[in-house]
Amino acid sequence: MLSQVACVAAQSRHLAGSATFSLSRHLSSTNSIGQVNASVNALIHVASQANESRRSGRGLSDCTVAVKDNICTTDMPTTCSSRMLLDFTSPVDATVVQLLRDEGATLVGKTNCDEFGMGSLNTYSVHGPVVNPFQATNSDVAWENRERRSAGGSSGGSAAAVAAELCDAALATDTGGSIRLPASYCGVVGLKPSYGIISRWGVVSYADSLDCVGVMAKGVRTVKAIFNVLSAYDPKDPTAARVDTRHKAATACQEHGPRHSGRSLSGLRVGIPQEYFPMELNPNTLKPLRRVLEHLRARGASLIPVSLPSTSYALSAYYVISSAEASSNMARYDGIEYGLYKEPPPGSDKTKTANVYAHSRSAGFGKEVQKRILLGTYALSADAFDNYFLQAQRVRNLIRADFDRVFAIPNVLSSTPQNNFGEGVHVLLHPSAIRTAPPLPSLEHDIDSSKSDASILDAYVQDVLTVPASLAGLPAMSVPTGFGEDGWPVGVSIVGQWGCDEMVIDIGRECEQGIIQ
Amino acid sequence: MLAHARKLAPRSSCLRLTRSYSVRVKDDSRWPGWDVVVGIEVHAQIKSRLKLFSGLLCIYSFGVEGAWTPDYNLPSNTSVSVFDAAFPGTLPRLNPKCVELGVRTALALEANVQRRSAFDRKHYFYADLPAGYQITQHYAPFATGGRVMLEGDEAFVRIKQIQLEQDTGKSTFDSRRKVSSIDLSRAGAGLMEIVSEPDMRSPEEAGHYVRTLQALLRSVGSSDGNMEQGSLRCDVNVSVNRRSEPAGTRCEIKNLNSVRFMMVAITSEVRRQIDLLESGGTVSQETRGFDEEKAETYSLRSKEDAPDYRYMPDPNLPPLLIEEAYVSQMRTKMPELPDATRARLLGLGLSRRDADVLMDVDSGREVNFDGELAPGPVAYFDQISHGRDPKVVVNWITHELNGQLAFREEPFSKNPITVEQMGGLIDLVQSGKLTGTAGKTLLRYMLDKPSGQTADELARELSLLIEDDDGTALQKWCGEAITALPKQADAVRSGNVNVLNKILGHVMKSSKGRADANAARATLLEMLKKK
Repeated sequence: MLSQVACVAAQSRHLAGSATFSLSRHLSSTNSIGQVNASVNALIHVASQANESRRSGRGLSDCTVAVKDNICTTDMPTTCSSRMLLDFTSPVDATVVQLLRDEGATLVGKTNCDEFGMGSLNTYSVHGPVVNPFQATNSDVAWENRERRSAGGSSGGSAAAVAAELCDAALATDTGGSIRLPASYCGVVGLKPSYGIISRWGVVSYADSLDCVGVMAKGVRTVKAIFNVLSAYDPKDPTAARVDTRHKAATACQEHGPRHSGRSLSGLRVGIPQEYFPMELNPNTLKPLRRVLEHLRARGASLIPVSLPSTSYALSAYYVISSAEASSNMARYDGIEYGLYKEPPPGSDKTKTANVYAHSRSAGFGKEVQKRILLGTYALSADAFDNYFLQAQRVRNLIRADFDRVFAIPNVLSSTPQNNFGEGVHVLLHPSAIRTAPPLPSLEHDIDSSKSDASILDAYVQDVLTVPASLAGLPAMSVPTGFGEDGWPVGVSIVGQWGCDEMVIDIGRECEQGIIQ
Repeated sequence: MLAHARKLAPRSSCLRLTRSYSVRVKDDSRWPGWDVVVGIEVHAQIKSRLKLFSGLLCIYSFGVEGAWTPDYNLPSNTSVSVFDAAFPGTLPRLNPKCVELGVRTALALEANVQRRSAFDRKHYFYADLPAGYQITQHYAPFATGGRVMLEGDEAFVRIKQIQLEQDTGKSTFDSRRKVSSIDLSRAGAGLMEIVSEPDMRSPEEAGHYVRTLQALLRSVGSSDGNMEQGSLRCDVNVSVNRRSEPAGTRCEIKNLNSVRFMMVAITSEVRRQIDLLESGGTVSQETRGFDEEKAETYSLRSKEDAPDYRYMPDPNLPPLLIEEAYVSQMRTKMPELPDATRARLLGLGLSRRDADVLMDVDSGREVNFDGELAPGPVAYFDQISHGRDPKVVVNWITHELNGQLAFREEPFSKNPITVEQMGGLIDLVQSGKLTGTAGKTLLRYMLDKPSGQTADELARELSLLIEDDDGTALQKWCGEAITALPKQADAVRSGNVNVLNKILGHVMKSSKGRADANAARATLLEMLKKK
């Protein structure tokens, strides 16, 4: 596998240059990595050469990887794009970072993101917004002066770093769509694995029950190579899927998976969930999706319309659960053991500990994080707990049940796995986002203060297609499928049963080839 | 508020779990006409080597390898892992030893270990709580039901539930400098919160309950229950009501750290509540502290100010599933509980007093980490009394050995005399080869110069054995004594027999106790009469 991966990385570079994506044109030799990054703002810390301990002869020794800034590294800061942790360097390496180092990968730096992973546009960052590196082919301005669009969030820096070829791949995290959305907006591949497959030790928690570490790269093969390195059981993560559970899932995938051979996809049943084409979906993005579907059908796959009726409740449930967990996880940032400490001004009331912390927390957290802390604190308060938190958990169970009903593969995590007896689909396929990358607000003050409620809601709606898989803990991968009518990238998402990550990746590869051909 | 007094009917019926409460409560001369109702929450630190969630694989600690349950002798902040300090990216991992000790405790308290329990986060901001929440078991506790027999009182206290939770750090407030110091060594250590039903009726009964609980925890090795060092802390709920009226409003007194102070606090709180009610006021539900110097309680916060802890199931910790088979296996490995030990000792013919002394010394034995049971005086007694008279053995252990150890200010765990040596010593005395005095000399020697030699070898070496010759040695010692003490000898000869004891003492001394006192006395009288 060793030399294979190196070649995958090189190949994806080649594919990107020659076929679908036209970025290389702009990134001519006149632009240094520094110049490119200055325009994209993807890397917020670039590793010094001295830190690179390239171990040749290992599986990823020719691979350069950027790491999202909410994943702990001992040799680089881990700021989570928050003023709170601006000077924070973790005493631990995340397990995923350790695994990459062990396989000889070169860590090129830390990537920008929304503060603690909260956001869908990568605009809530103390380092400033990420600017999507993409430029439509029909544009005639210099790349540096391209249209300023969002890279998506929260892993916008990881997606943009890959798209701008600052690295071969990037580690990212996905809580409600934070990998798939930026992958779609930037025109790269993004995989959110099944919950519990990749270790979260050393990954800064936003909402523990939803957080997943995933991989972004130009091509599916690179994603797969890195996923294979990272998907190891880690006893340090109490939510890690145990080895026997992984075996059970693999067996279930094999027993109930598609039985196609050779180049044909006959036997593969692809579900198209009707609820994933909501009113908010921009119809201009549908053409590339149709091309993928046509390609799959031409190869022998059956396309089957399915219904996931609880989908419409997913977004509200997601925001209640994620905010509740966020409010809990953010409680540790008080400026005492580490992080920003703001001395209470003279004469302030210090009778309660919370009053002292309030100064550091108000100064350290951005508006969006503060908003979610308040929302989550309310959802957990004694009066609201039943109506919000518990209700959201019920919805979460309904969403899971929806998925279990349509998949041919039984859910090995369920206490009563449903057997759909040959009925049901192997994967689901749907648009990754409701639109192509939205424009960035022109000035920073637009982002925080003078924003209308409608545009805030807009930002939350970005996640409508991605949160159901997060709530159910399912593997989901966004693959670029071409361009919308505005010339910007569009992604398609492949979603599988829990533990069927490999199947999702393989079908992602099929979709990718459909585009390349 | 089910239970008021629960004096036991015959013990056997209680064992069949048919509780019998007598309606009539003994009147307390301190507050005639009033009933006192007390419930106690005990926080006992689990004596596990590693902490509750930060123990496993915690290679990134600051001061020491691993996050140990702190030794109170250690300087502050020396047993802290990145998890204990709530560093971003760290995750909890349940220490199975804490579960094991929890199960042992539940079994000792006759509680039902739940097949499924779960962990929740309890949120509040305080400087000794780095994560901003404490992991506890709010919605689904570890064990429910159970009871503690109060020995001698023929009463029991029902246990409502036992939950596993994290300890907080320790804050010390310097009121002069207005500075709080935080020690995180304790943060994240395992605690068992043991919640009683409001079954106690007096400060003394509350004290009895806590002491009994301490002994139980120590006997199963789950906690050293040391209140002084803070490994056992009590929150006490107190209410009063006029006899035959419904239970009154309760107040909680927080953080009591000695049994004596707890009893003083309850007494003062009872008086405060009665004074309030008798002067026409009402007791309002609140949380109170205890001022040890003034010996009175003071208000910390009212019910209205009670914080909303925003309990949330911990999303990182899967439910704790405990198989019945595991509990059964633990049951077979359970150490003997104090009640059973006492009954067994009395059954061996020991006096109540001897049994109590032996058990008292036993309860002071060190509680080892992770439930490894250190053999104490009872085990020592059991081994030595095998095939010997238990009453003789207990006498040697509690009086002679323990007395000598106490004199040397050594704990029983430092006793260097092996079971074989002690048994041999007792055998020599019992068989008449060694006088009691010589036995004690030998015991002291064994303590002074620990060795692997048998009691017989040592006694021989020290020439302590009674010479079973024809009495020439005795003749010799007596002759020497008379020569050495001519005045006293003359006095005896002239009829002052009381002075004989002086000469006898000389004989005993020069014989190193080998001489039989009665025989020596007779020989001396014989020799002095002759002249």
